[in-house]
Amino acid sequence: MWNRHSKYYPSILAQIIFGLVALSIVVTTHADSKVPENLQVHGFLSQGYLLTSGNKVFGNSKDNGSFGFREIGLNASLQPMPSLQLSAQLLSRHAGKGNNGGIRVDYGFADYRISSDVTKQFGIRLGRVKNPFGFYNETRDVPFTRPSILLPQSIYFDRTRNLALAGDGAQLYGEANTNFGDFSIQFQTGLPQVNDKNSEVALIGGNFPGKLRSRLSYIGRIIYELDGGRLRLAVSGTQLNVGYDPAAPFGADLMAGLVRFSPIIFSAQYNAERFSITSEYAIRPFRIKDFGVSALDMNFIGESYYIQGAYRFNQEWEGFLRYDVLFTDRNDRNGRQFRTSTGRPAHNRFAKDMTVGLRWSITPEIMLRAEYHRIDGTAWLSTLDNPDPFNTNRHWNLFAAQISYRF
Amino acid sequence: MFFKCIRYKILLLCLVFGMLSNSYVSKASETIVIITYPEVEPQTLSKNTLRSIFSMRLKTWPDNIPIRVFVLPDDHPIHSTFTKEILNVFSYQLRATWDRLVFSGTGQAPIKVNNYEEMLTGVAKTPGAIGYLKERHLNNSVRVLNVE
Repeated sequence: MWNRHSKYYPSILAQIIFGLVALSIVVTTHADSKVPENLQVHGFLSQGYLLTSGNKVFGNSKDNGSFGFREIGLNASLQPMPSLQLSAQLLSRHAGKGNNGGIRVDYGFADYRISSDVTKQFGIRLGRVKNPFGFYNETRDVPFTRPSILLPQSIYFDRTRNLALAGDGAQLYGEANTNFGDFSIQFQTGLPQVNDKNSEVALIGGNFPGKLRSRLSYIGRIIYELDGGRLRLAVSGTQLNVGYDPAAPFGADLMAGLVRFSPIIFSAQYNAERFSITSEYAIRPFRIKDFGVSALDMNFIGESYYIQGAYRFNQEWEGFLRYDVLFTDRNDRNGRQFRTSTGRPAHNRFAKDMTVGLRWSITPEIMLRAEYHRIDGTAWLSTLDNPDPFNTNRHWNLFAAQISYRF
Repeated sequence: MFFKCIRYKILLLCLVFGMLSNSYVSKASETIVIITYPEVEPQTLSKNTLRSIFSMRLKTWPDNIPIRVFVLPDDHPIHSTFTKEILNVFSYQLRATWDRLVFSGTGQAPIKVNNYEEMLTGVAKTPGAIGYLKERHLNNSVRVLNVE
């Protein structure tokens, strides 16, 4: 749909929609000196504290810990007519070297309902749309929607997060409410966001002269909910394509290679009054080719899963326990082949994280969280924050606390 | 012995009756009803449809008038009773659904009111409005919707 040369068009579209929403707020507030009744503005603000042993997470979290984890978001939505909704969100995220707190358009799109009745809804979203995969990806930067301060990193790892966030393109969606459950289906095609060094380092293992360039990518998800969401099941599939534009002739730079990442995620959740059990499993084929360097010719399949139990003591207090596992290459789970072929530590290729945490909802708008991780392996550790793989510790701990406000 | 026995029985009877009438009274006053703006077209809705409305998926009434959903705060006792007993979901689930919509841009949040007085006036004066109340707080400014 978008050709190579129209690369900037969709993000401009996102900005235009954001501008439209902002403009209509200004115009309507000036015109009748009251806001239109269906305009909504929401936002959140959070400040985190991280203390780690051995490795760095979101800044220099060793020794005295770090207050360098901050998330701020502001969104607006408007329904100029019943079948049309315009929505946009601005986000600032401060989290280590990969995220410096700069403000960006998280999403900005027009949602048009093509048809809608009591049992079926069908529509299209155009612009920058959040990538629908797994249970948490679309709202991964919103503290209140997460089950913990850090999402299970096996599935939602933060070092290639920009690729996973949103796509500039189009999404078709459909919902069906039947007597035997509700179905929700999304299919999306567009360009992922790759204009950051974190993705480059994470994907091709270094900072090269040229630039990564997003190629047309695809995402689809189907969610089934029984009994109003008591049981939720989902399957998500993605084919994420990233190309490379060399800045210099081969020899001084890489060739115009391709990175293809095609994870499939299976998700399941059971919600009772007091407890919820959630589990997600992902199989993630990863292919890198045509860079003209044999070390950058890779083909492996990653595997990850977590199981998490949450218990609500009362309306204010919730506790959770989670076991989260990531294998970068499922045919080399202990990383020994990797160590033999690259000389790097084997523990760079897996991570097993046991987490326990507490959530205190002081009011429905203010939330305080704390959690403790015991981790074996560094597979999801940010390479930008920990540039030297030999200077990472296999066994390490992470403590995090976060206070969040929403409106 | 005999009198003691009678006395016990009377006491027991009183107790049982007291409990019954007590629970009867509390049940009647706790009954939650669905209310709409008086001109909203449907007068009966299925539980499934009601769930679609309160989870903000269904946006318009059959006559294409936008649905305006009114809710009490998450920690309000009437809200938890409503979600649990009428919608058969827990209030934390509904909150998660709304948050997913609001913070991914794919939907909007319901309109929050702080107490039943605001609920009553809000639903009474907003075309397309739907909300809920304890039966004893009802007045004729709103219409009661039947749930199948």
